[in-house]
Amino acid sequence: MKKKIATILLLAIISLQVYNIYAIQRFPKPEFESGHTQPPTVTPDPRAQALDILDTFVLVAALSVVTWLVIKKRSRKGVFWMSVFAVLYFGFFREGCICSVGSLQNITLALFNPEYSIPLTAIAFFILPIVYTLFFGRTFCAGVCPLGTLQDIFALKPMSIKTWLEKVLGIIPFIYLGLAILYAATSTDFIICRYDPFVGFFRFDATFMMFSIGGVLLLTGIFIARPYCRFLCPYGALLNLVSRFSKKHITITPTECIQCRLCEDSCPFEAIDKPVLLKEKEERPIAVRRFLMYTIIIPVLILIGGYTGSQFHENLASVNTKVRLANELLNETNYGETEQEAFEITAFKAAGQSKEELYNEVAAIIKKFYIGGWILGGFIGLVFGLTLVSLTIFKYREDYTPNKGTCLSCARCVDYCPVLPEVKTELQ
Amino acid sequence: MKKIKELLTTNTQLWKGIAIVAAIFSFIICFLIIANYFQINRLDPVNTELINTLVERLSQNPNDEALRLEIRELDLLVRKAYFTNQWQIRTGGYLLLIGVILFVISYQLINSAKKISPEVGEKDENNLFLQKTARKWVSIGGVSLVSIALVFAFLTHNRLGETFVEAAINENVVTDESSADEAATEEISSGSQVAETVQTEPVGTEASEPEETAPVEKPEQVAISSIVKYPTAEMKANFPSFRGPGGNGIAFQKNIPTSWDGASGQNILWKSSIPLHGYNSPVVWGNKVFLSGANAALRQVYCFDKNTGELIWTANVDNVPGSPASAPEVTNDTGHSAPTVTTDGKSVFAIFSTGDVIALDMKGNRVWVKNLGVPQNHYGYSSSLYIYDDKLIIQYDHRSASKIIALSTQSGDEVWSTERKGKISWASPVIVQHNNRVEILLVTDPFVASYDAKTGEELWRLDCLYGEVGPSVAYADGIVFATNEYASLVAIKMGDQPEKIWEQYDYLSDVPSPVATDKYLFLATSYGVVVCHDAKTGTLLWEKEFDNGFYSSPIMVEDKIYLIDREGITHIFKVDKEFVSLGEAALGERVVSTPAFADGRIFIRADKNLYCIGK
Repeated sequence: MKKKIATILLLAIISLQVYNIYAIQRFPKPEFESGHTQPPTVTPDPRAQALDILDTFVLVAALSVVTWLVIKKRSRKGVFWMSVFAVLYFGFFREGCICSVGSLQNITLALFNPEYSIPLTAIAFFILPIVYTLFFGRTFCAGVCPLGTLQDIFALKPMSIKTWLEKVLGIIPFIYLGLAILYAATSTDFIICRYDPFVGFFRFDATFMMFSIGGVLLLTGIFIARPYCRFLCPYGALLNLVSRFSKKHITITPTECIQCRLCEDSCPFEAIDKPVLLKEKEERPIAVRRFLMYTIIIPVLILIGGYTGSQFHENLASVNTKVRLANELLNETNYGETEQEAFEITAFKAAGQSKEELYNEVAAIIKKFYIGGWILGGFIGLVFGLTLVSLTIFKYREDYTPNKGTCLSCARCVDYCPVLPEVKTELQ
Repeated sequence: MKKIKELLTTNTQLWKGIAIVAAIFSFIICFLIIANYFQINRLDPVNTELINTLVERLSQNPNDEALRLEIRELDLLVRKAYFTNQWQIRTGGYLLLIGVILFVISYQLINSAKKISPEVGEKDENNLFLQKTARKWVSIGGVSLVSIALVFAFLTHNRLGETFVEAAINENVVTDESSADEAATEEISSGSQVAETVQTEPVGTEASEPEETAPVEKPEQVAISSIVKYPTAEMKANFPSFRGPGGNGIAFQKNIPTSWDGASGQNILWKSSIPLHGYNSPVVWGNKVFLSGANAALRQVYCFDKNTGELIWTANVDNVPGSPASAPEVTNDTGHSAPTVTTDGKSVFAIFSTGDVIALDMKGNRVWVKNLGVPQNHYGYSSSLYIYDDKLIIQYDHRSASKIIALSTQSGDEVWSTERKGKISWASPVIVQHNNRVEILLVTDPFVASYDAKTGEELWRLDCLYGEVGPSVAYADGIVFATNEYASLVAIKMGDQPEKIWEQYDYLSDVPSPVATDKYLFLATSYGVVVCHDAKTGTLLWEKEFDNGFYSSPIMVEDKIYLIDREGITHIFKVDKEFVSLGEAALGERVVSTPAFADGRIFIRADKNLYCIGK
């Protein structure tokens, strides 16, 4: 029953992510008859450069410490306290920005829009966790990412979910990644930041919708550990791919697995690959035939995905504010406002751009989305294809090992392993 | 330290209690915050029914001070309630945070006190079965995703891309139609790009000539487009002033011939003698071509039939109150009628070396006339006239009191006048739309300046030139290009704080005005060299030396530049980063004026004759 409730909660959160969050000034500024003039709107100063450098330094230090705690010390307790530090520093002190998860949009925008000047901190926050992951696995997720560590602290009563559901939901981060890149590349929006469920908590200014999504996500996280990291995080999708090549990844046992099975259910993220014995292997011709069939089907899935994405491009483009503005102007719907001209339309008129220019600009944007739709759809088709292929491969495994892609290097499992490094010495 | 650790890890019951209390506390606070949120959203403190009713009552009795006070007190009360609500939500947020932190700490401590008691699972799921089930659900997920996306896409398919392209075209047509009765103009874009013009052949007698009827702007169409459009569609469909609509050197025309020969008569549709000499250029509106001519004793305005070349009427500019008894001294290369006339399709306007300004209707009848005072100009007055809206714009830069004047096109009364601190200028105004504002660009020694066409207010000024300035400016893509011999060629980024973005000194003009696109700037010189610069950087892209010099200014039509040298040979070349000649055509008569383009034809004022060239 609990599992069902948790699953429903999780799906509800994921669906909530598609809703936009509106925030407008509720009060028009009063006009005083006494001649009092309103103070000008104050724009906050950008973060000091020294603090940016400090942030990068702290990131490197935190990554190094967590990696050392995970790989060398094998200390779950240490990782936990680093999580607390990450929530306090990268979360509450830095107010969750720039975060590595969102930085992939800065990188995309910089690649597609030469006019955009990317902050060096954004590059550092994007690259450094990837580099560490490439060598040591997802230690960034374990104790540095404020979004992940906040959820980790809330993972109080984790339970397992079905493998098939894990696999299906595991595709969502890749879709989210594709969408985030598409919207950043078309200079439409930073959707990862817009729908960041926890940044509102860090800044104490969550809108009701953000508060609801974040709250429900944390509540779900009590039972289904780190739901955002596992089933939504687009940066996690990247790290998942990179981590598969990591040389010095955390191991459950410090020496050799003694097949005691004590760690079997220790991972709240279902990231332990259990031994697969030869007796479970299919007959070779059947396995090869299935593998080939799914491999051959990948280009077809890419095409189907691409076609679907291209047909869906108008819906994708409707998120773009210029497309929306043009739509409102063309249909004279005035953003649903009946009493007065919508702010957006007033601003458009004041800007001096003609409707003709706007329509032409929007037509060009929609064309970009058409091409982007093909690429995004093709990418999603590829992800589905590769997932299916991976589910046809027989991997012989004797030991309990962390899955390098999905393992978040939280070091929970090491506490379950009765094998100690000293034992190895004694045995020798 | 050890004791503290023990206290933290051993008092499980205590922590359990704290966790339960913290959880209940957090839940209640959370509930209250949500309730508060809905309450705050339900009430609109600036739009309460009670206050609105009282405000309405106050508007009926504006002197009811008691009521006014009551409204203020009520308003204050409602606002206080709103901000109290906000304070409650914020405080609740902090309390919730404290509650949640307490709960999490307690729970973590309870967990840490527990010894790990791993359970060895009994079930041993088959990997093949798991893979098969996962494959099935991944496939179902994929198919569902594709199906939902496709259904959604087909249900909401709007041909958005095509819709907006069509809307852009329609928007252009609607705006154009609102200001033009007979011309159907399909605009491609303003500035450097050229519009395709389809103009119906004017028919009938003069009384029924469509171009003479005042353009009627349909009110609903005006409402649709509140954005300023200059030049207007009807200006673009015609050639109403020196160097085209707005004087920017662009003719919004199409199908202009590239070959003719004055000697053999090839493509020369007609040729008419011009009674009095003048260095002004032809302008075209509907089926009429206008010119002026003058000598020391006579000043005249001429109207020719565009189709036949017949001189339809001649208007004498005489008996002008305030006009000097004798014309001022001018040099032969300027004359008494160097300024080109202008028209708005209702009247035609002309100015002469005496300072006489005249407005004539399209039949040659005098509407009004006045003298602006004899301009103190040692060569002779030469700035051409332009029209913005219902204002006749006159650059009146002379020695004693330089100014820019706007006269009412209907009455000749002064609408506004702005004093200028510069010296004499022989250049003409250029009127452009920059963003949503129409600006008049003037050049003189020592500055380029911009004026609001509506009010005459000086918008910006930049000191950058010197000498006796002859060439007018060119404009494209927010950049103004100004030049003068012995000074320099400058590119100025327009704006309230104008900025000189580049400057060149190699090839400069003393008479012909430049023409610009968003990429290129073309400049002809009186000593026969034509150059092309990169408009954004000033880099010299090409230079070409011709046998004869130029006084006529280049005009851009579609992607071609038409430039007539002083011997009457028109050089046609491509608007490109390399010089590509598209033809040369000789007229057989000397030319110093700038041609006009309309309805697929070219109108050239040569030394003694007016030519019409077409297929």
